[in-house]
Amino acid sequence: MKRLPSIPALAAILAMVMATGSCSDQPCYEETDPQMNTILLVSGTGETAKADSLRVYTYRESDTLKFVSIKGASSFSVPLDPGSDESRFLITLNGVTDTALIWYSRRPHLVSPECGYTIVSEITGLMTTHNIIDTLIIENKSVNLDGQKNLHLFY
Amino acid sequence: MVRRTCIFSISLLLLAQTVAISQDTVTVPLHVRAGFDLSGPVMKLVNKDLISYGVAASADINSSLAVTAGFRYSSFSSSEVIYDFSSRGLSITAGTDYNFIKANVSGGKYYAGIGIRYGLSFYSEEAPMIRYTNEWGAGETYLALERHTGHYLEITPGVRTSLFPGVTIGWNLYMRLLISAGAGKDLKPVWMPGYGPGTSGMSTGAEYYISFSIPYRKIKVFIKPKVRDSGEEETEGGQEVPGTVTSGSGIRF
Repeated sequence: MKRLPSIPALAAILAMVMATGSCSDQPCYEETDPQMNTILLVSGTGETAKADSLRVYTYRESDTLKFVSIKGASSFSVPLDPGSDESRFLITLNGVTDTALIWYSRRPHLVSPECGYTIVSEITGLMTTHNIIDTLIIENKSVNLDGQKNLHLFY
Repeated sequence: MVRRTCIFSISLLLLAQTVAISQDTVTVPLHVRAGFDLSGPVMKLVNKDLISYGVAASADINSSLAVTAGFRYSSFSSSEVIYDFSSRGLSITAGTDYNFIKANVSGGKYYAGIGIRYGLSFYSEEAPMIRYTNEWGAGETYLALERHTGHYLEITPGVRTSLFPGVTIGWNLYMRLLISAGAGKDLKPVWMPGYGPGTSGMSTGAEYYISFSIPYRKIKVFIKPKVRDSGEEETEGGQEVPGTVTSGSGIRF
């Protein structure tokens, strides 16, 4: 027991090593970009649909942002604008274009100390034109990093 | 003459040892202690983001158990490229320490044991600058100051010894298990005062306390004497002969 007084030195070194380890900068390996996930369904039957071609984009004052351009798509994922409470998407399915407007609330979400914060959203409403889209419904309001399906698009 | 003196001294020592073995009670002083954590100021030299000052108090209930309580003020501030974060608050812990050292060895001076504590952290957090980037472009936002209450459990193995009468030093490792950061799943604190990284379910570290102790009572602790193992002392069934318990202690007030 008389050796006990010397043990604190070991503890101090241990504590310093642990603290030094926790201070070092770590890279971010986690997903940090929440996506709004939409699946395509056949109107009437509700079966999974496969569009021959799909483009999703938006017009801005200065440019056009292209999010998706694929063939044989049965689902797509797009990010919501983290700087606004609404996002407008132009969805071209098999050459026919509809406009979808999504409203949502935003809040910061801490991914990790290494990756920092991201902006997650809660969909509060939507509106769409009906050139090819029959119905666009909200399945899950939370647009976060969980990867859950958010919208069902019937056409 | 010298030889006789030496033999006499050795005989006295042997006699004293015999008395100690045959003695079945020891008087142990119970203490109240109050001290502060030296590791906080030391850690400030290593980790400039963190300021942490802790005080702790404990009172012996008996030769093995003590009730303990602690207060800690922590302030954390971090400035990264993608965000600034700060949190500060007061944490309170309360629990018990169990001393594994037998009363006749510790004599109220030594501790090597484990403690378990429940911790409450009253803290505020804010992120004055948050930078984000995605396909829409880059932007900045912020998280306004919010106040939360977090809960955690703390398991603390450690040792303590009397440096000189009235002053003890000791250190303990701690393993903290987060029950709740109290801030929801989105705003877990980068650093929860009193606990550590709020995104992790467990945090570990070490503390080094210097304490002032005052004896407030003496108790007599019954020590069952050790008897050397011997085949002759065992019955045929292998049971110990009454009075040959090899360990254990009782308390006699």
